[in-house]
Amino acid sequence: MTAPTNQASSTHEAVSQRVPLWRDAVVVKWTAQVATLVLVLASLWFLATQAGDNLTARNINIGFDFLERPPDIQLSEGIDTHPATGGRALWVGMVNTLRMAIVGIVFATLLGVVVGLARLSNNWLIRRLATIWVETLRNIPLLVQIIFYFSVLAVLPRVDMDTGPINGWLHISNKGLAMPRVFIADGFYQWATVMLVGGLAAHYVRRRRVDLHNESGANTSPVLWSLGTLAVFGMVGLFIHPLFGFIEPIMGAVASLLDSLPILLPQVLLSATAVLLAGRWIREFLAGRRSAVGHLALSDDDYFRIIFTAIAALMAVTVAIYWTGLSSWILNSGSDLFRVIETKFNVDGAARPFDAMRPDIVKPGKFANYGINGLTMTVGFAAVFFGVVFYTSAFIGEIVRGGILAVPKGQTEAASAVGLHRSQSLRHIILPQAIRVILPPLGNQYLNLTKNTSLAIAVGYSDIVQVGQTVYNQTGKTLPVVAIWMLFYLATSLTISVVVNYYNVRMKLVER
Amino acid sequence: MSEFAGAGAEIGSFYPMPRPDASPPVEEHLPPREWLKKNLFSNVFNSALTVAAGLLIIVMLRGLLGFIFNPLRQWNATAVNLRLLMTHAYPADQYLRVWFSVAAFLILTGLSIAVWRAGSRVPVPDVGKRVTALGVFVTLSALLAPFSGSARLSWLAVAVFLLASGLSVSRTSKDRSVSSLSLLVGVCGLAALSLWVIPYGHHSFVSDRTPKILAEPGTVDLTTKLPWTIMLLIAVAAYGVGLLLRDRIPAKVARTSLVLAWILTPILLLFLVLRDPDFDMGHVLSTDIPIFLVFAVLGSALLFWLTNPETGEVGRIVAVTVLFLAFGSFLMPMRMVIRIFMLLLAIFSLAGPTFSGDRRTRHNYVAIWTGTAVFVSWLITAINTPSTAPVPGQFFLGGFSMTLMVAFFTLLVSFPLGVMLALARTSNMPIFRLLATWFIEFVRGVPLITILIFFSVMVPLFLPDGMDLSEVAAVTIGYALFASAYLAENVRGGIQSVTRGQHEAAEAVGMTTSQKTVFIVLPQALRVAIPPLVGQVIGTFKETSLLIIIGLFDLLFVAKAIIPNQTAFMGSTRENLMVISLIYWVISYSMSKASMRIEKRVGLGEQ
Amino acid sequence: MTDVTDVTETETGTDSGGAARSGRDLSSAKDMIVCEGVSKWYGDFQALEGVSATIKEQEVVVVLGPSGSGKSTWIRCINRLEEHQEGLIVVDGVELSNDLRNIEKVRSEVGMVFQQFNLFPHLKVRDNVSLAPIWVRKKSKAEAEEQAQALLELVGIPEQADKFPGQLSGGQQQRVAIARALAMEPKIMLFDEPTSALDPEMIKEVLDVMKNLALSGMTMMVVTHEMGFAKEVADRIIFMEEGQIVEVGTPEHFFTNPTEDRTKLFLSQILA
Ligand SMILES: Nc1ncnc2c1ncn2[C@@H]1O[C@H](COP(=O)(O)OP(=O)(O)O)[C@@H](O)[C@H]1O
Ligand SMILES: [Mg+2]
Repeated sequence: MTAPTNQASSTHEAVSQRVPLWRDAVVVKWTAQVATLVLVLASLWFLATQAGDNLTARNINIGFDFLERPPDIQLSEGIDTHPATGGRALWVGMVNTLRMAIVGIVFATLLGVVVGLARLSNNWLIRRLATIWVETLRNIPLLVQIIFYFSVLAVLPRVDMDTGPINGWLHISNKGLAMPRVFIADGFYQWATVMLVGGLAAHYVRRRRVDLHNESGANTSPVLWSLGTLAVFGMVGLFIHPLFGFIEPIMGAVASLLDSLPILLPQVLLSATAVLLAGRWIREFLAGRRSAVGHLALSDDDYFRIIFTAIAALMAVTVAIYWTGLSSWILNSGSDLFRVIETKFNVDGAARPFDAMRPDIVKPGKFANYGINGLTMTVGFAAVFFGVVFYTSAFIGEIVRGGILAVPKGQTEAASAVGLHRSQSLRHIILPQAIRVILPPLGNQYLNLTKNTSLAIAVGYSDIVQVGQTVYNQTGKTLPVVAIWMLFYLATSLTISVVVNYYNVRMKLVER
Repeated sequence: MSEFAGAGAEIGSFYPMPRPDASPPVEEHLPPREWLKKNLFSNVFNSALTVAAGLLIIVMLRGLLGFIFNPLRQWNATAVNLRLLMTHAYPADQYLRVWFSVAAFLILTGLSIAVWRAGSRVPVPDVGKRVTALGVFVTLSALLAPFSGSARLSWLAVAVFLLASGLSVSRTSKDRSVSSLSLLVGVCGLAALSLWVIPYGHHSFVSDRTPKILAEPGTVDLTTKLPWTIMLLIAVAAYGVGLLLRDRIPAKVARTSLVLAWILTPILLLFLVLRDPDFDMGHVLSTDIPIFLVFAVLGSALLFWLTNPETGEVGRIVAVTVLFLAFGSFLMPMRMVIRIFMLLLAIFSLAGPTFSGDRRTRHNYVAIWTGTAVFVSWLITAINTPSTAPVPGQFFLGGFSMTLMVAFFTLLVSFPLGVMLALARTSNMPIFRLLATWFIEFVRGVPLITILIFFSVMVPLFLPDGMDLSEVAAVTIGYALFASAYLAENVRGGIQSVTRGQHEAAEAVGMTTSQKTVFIVLPQALRVAIPPLVGQVIGTFKETSLLIIIGLFDLLFVAKAIIPNQTAFMGSTRENLMVISLIYWVISYSMSKASMRIEKRVGLGEQ
Repeated sequence: MTDVTDVTETETGTDSGGAARSGRDLSSAKDMIVCEGVSKWYGDFQALEGVSATIKEQEVVVVLGPSGSGKSTWIRCINRLEEHQEGLIVVDGVELSNDLRNIEKVRSEVGMVFQQFNLFPHLKVRDNVSLAPIWVRKKSKAEAEEQAQALLELVGIPEQADKFPGQLSGGQQQRVAIARALAMEPKIMLFDEPTSALDPEMIKEVLDVMKNLALSGMTMMVVTHEMGFAKEVADRIIFMEEGQIVEVGTPEHFFTNPTEDRTKLFLSQILA
């Protein structure tokens, strides 16, 4: 028995050896990562200083002061065509982008569903037409399409006192398409408050009807009931909305309170949040690694992770405390927000929530033009709108088609076996199943559409990119404008993906 | 921020796009009457749909034909300006270079078709059906177009001929088939022939009405039709040569060298043939070649040592030292070539132990290094040397050739970048994963145009003194970064489809992480990612049209902003846009069709 | 300071182990695998609880146990496909730690065969076998392919070398997987339920290959539910439950008079 004993002790010798650093998996792994991080940060820093040097050498300053200065800009359309400040101009651009994105998403979805269903129609001609639609539109660059629509619209007849089919109601010309519009008037915010209450009521009614259905089994049509409730509130609200005038002083009080708070408060709050979040993450992390009997098994990687989180929290606290601008901005914008709401409710009792206007044509000098009263779809808007809607509809059509084809054939057969019509089985059996396949890529298309509205710059529609370019051409502040663009688009993309994700998760829940 | 990454990840994760041909509607053989009844008039609703769609088609077609054959249209705008559209301001007396480049591509195409055995056999009756359909279309068009009586009659005659030949061909036996390649050659041949006989862009042959602007009375210019005819012959000849070579060279060798040629040829053509660098031989001999020799010789020795399996850890430490030296070289004043060589050498050194092996493997590795060094030093010299092709404006290419060039280089740069990002994002090292995720989600969150504007305006500001980058290069870099983020997501889908068992099997036989990645994970991942990657390639090609917005002279710019401003062709924007749409469409559509075919073949190969 | 082997064997009350049964005396052989108090957690869940065992050179050990008892986890720890968090694993005198060199060394000396074969689907059978020898063992291509052909002959499918794995039957695939592991010339082979994913008529062809391997003197650790194989080939049987080793003994002892109740229960269920 001597040989094994010797071996065993030699085994233990091997064990007691220290691993040299350059061969230790954890050390190598983390050194490589930290080195890369340092390298990336260093190159960014190098580029930034380089840009800083170059900018000072060229005497360009990169402050955001232009946001508060009056620009020398006129915008072709938007909520404010003569913005008072650079910031206001950019804001108008953002609203225009969002307007295009929302309208585009709605119409592209509708058209896309039609195209997708047409691709599966059992009518040969319809199927062919849909195929041609899809294959043509998705293989031609969107920008070419937008410019093409623009050049087609640009050769329409000029504006004239009686252009268009229904005189006075609809005008079609090379300045665009004008029709009457309903717009929100002073009483709108009070009415919206009524609708908010109505929404809560509708939700409650729906719940009640669903409960009733579960009890009695009868069809209680909860959706119809809740929509009805909402409609009643909308109608009644048109008359009783001044009741909500009392919100005004409350908002004013909150704003004043915010004004009087010390700057220390947001600093403390932000720091506390950072520390709390980091603490919670670390606690959950530790809890996740702890065994049932309380044994804690931490690998070296885990220690690195915890250290990183702690450092990140520390950095957040430092920023919150040393960058007073952040705190004052939070306080100011908070109180400004309430001030804005306050003014929105500062209305005399007789104000109406809505008003309507017919389009008007002005002829100050030689050239006629649309006035501000009607709802005008400018040529730029129309070109971008048709461009993104048609283009995206081709992609959405393919997604819808794929989703429907992904539903097993047995489902359709089962539906017709229980006697459902084709349209019924489509609505009750196929679409609900297809939607799970469709939704994720559909969200991607919405993101693409939103980003594609930036091509508006090619046809002069005043979206954020076009306005931004005008602004930096005037002021030379390219870098700040580009930064604002990116922040804006990131925020928008993030919002859309959060919304789509929410529905995604809900769909998956329903499935269970 | 992690919230954000997660949200994006959910949406961006891999969803196979529905394949357009996933289940083609089965077209059984029915007599015409029954076919009509089944497919168009099966019930009242269906019949109504058919009538409505038919009317719609007639109205649309009439409108389109009315637009096209309106005598006011200036279709000759593109015909006259073809050179401008294709190459913008490339000097006319140097045009042989352009044709040489086109020929080189066609030769590669011909060889590739032969080597990869592309094409299939099409049953003759199917060809007949296509011809019949064309005949129906021409009949309909001849009836709807605003033609004069005689023009309509002659078009109807053409239609009747097509219908008759189509119908007679479609009645032949189903067993007979023709190769799709010979059909392609036939169609291209007919197109080339038509250049000699049909006076394109000239109105008199469709209508008696006098066009606003009379094109030249003859046919197409000799400078167009002669080269294209020759090009067609060259392509066919190359295919023939390919057929001969195919059986004499091992398939693997032939394919590898063709792939290499496809990557290298565009670069060589661009910077050797089209740009025609005016090499300063004194400088080349005194500086470039010595630098190259030093790196080739010392680098080879180093790599030969590093790829020796006996070298061990010392090798890794040396490789990391080379990497540090390479980074250090950026802090010291020296030639850019040296820095680039240092970086390349560092990459080769780091990969050395992974690919070490017996003598032959090591020789191959050193040979690859030397080849890369030759190519890189030639490329850098060629780019840094002034051109003898005097071109007005900022860049030696424009129009379609710029579109192609930017698309090619964007893809070339973004592909390795995208794969690296995808690997980083799927790696189990948190910092790599985080950096990659942030980069990808950031880039995917903003529109391409903002990135292009940023790079075209801001890059000059970021460069150190004395270094400059042409706008085209700066924008291409920006575009490549953008494309790489999307590419990374597609590749990530592929990587995630590789099962955990594959990773474990590779680890269990002792492969290192990099060997596992190169030999096991990536080959499988890329195969899965082919369909979305082709979609990505098509998208990249299409979106080069955004170059117009930052003022580069791409195809769209010439069509939209240059030709319509010529006095002869004022207001021809719509015609030009339709023509370039056709160019974009043909390329994108054929690429997506080809990808479907490749996908099917790869799918078959696996089984 | 006692021998590790002694500890485990006295615990279970057996003497010379399976060596006596197959007529081999392994007591003086070298220790190939030494595990001492190996523990592993998946989050809250402890998959291994202080597993200790020693496996000698040329020994064939069969690991039995109900599903989820940690058999796979254990043998995957031995070539570090999983990291253990406590305890000590020493393979052929090399301790498994964060040392990169040791991990590489152990992995190329320990072959592993998986339940799901895990062949590389994009490579031909021959390349499946020769890939690792070329790039890990740094053999020349010709040499590696020659060896691959020889190994395919050994496992009885030399004619399939130019096919892709997808074109083979399950039994053939598993034999290719064994050839792939053998191509690295390992000192130890680990098998994780190599026949569980196979149709009954294919199980024998794989077991025959494994038997021949055992006869040729390979050190083997086999997780399997094939009791016939365990009886016939194993030197020792280790029974696991809930992440612990419950009983160790020769097949004879194990199948005729197991000491532990849990073992009896398991056997009655599996042999019923
Ligand atoms: N990756 C993992 N994550 C969490 N739990 C795991 C993982 N792998 C295995 N387990 C758990 O560890 C236990 C042992 O698993 P395993 O070793 O595969 O059992 P056996 O091979 O004996 O059937 C099981 O309860 C299993 O659920
Ligand atoms: Mg198992």
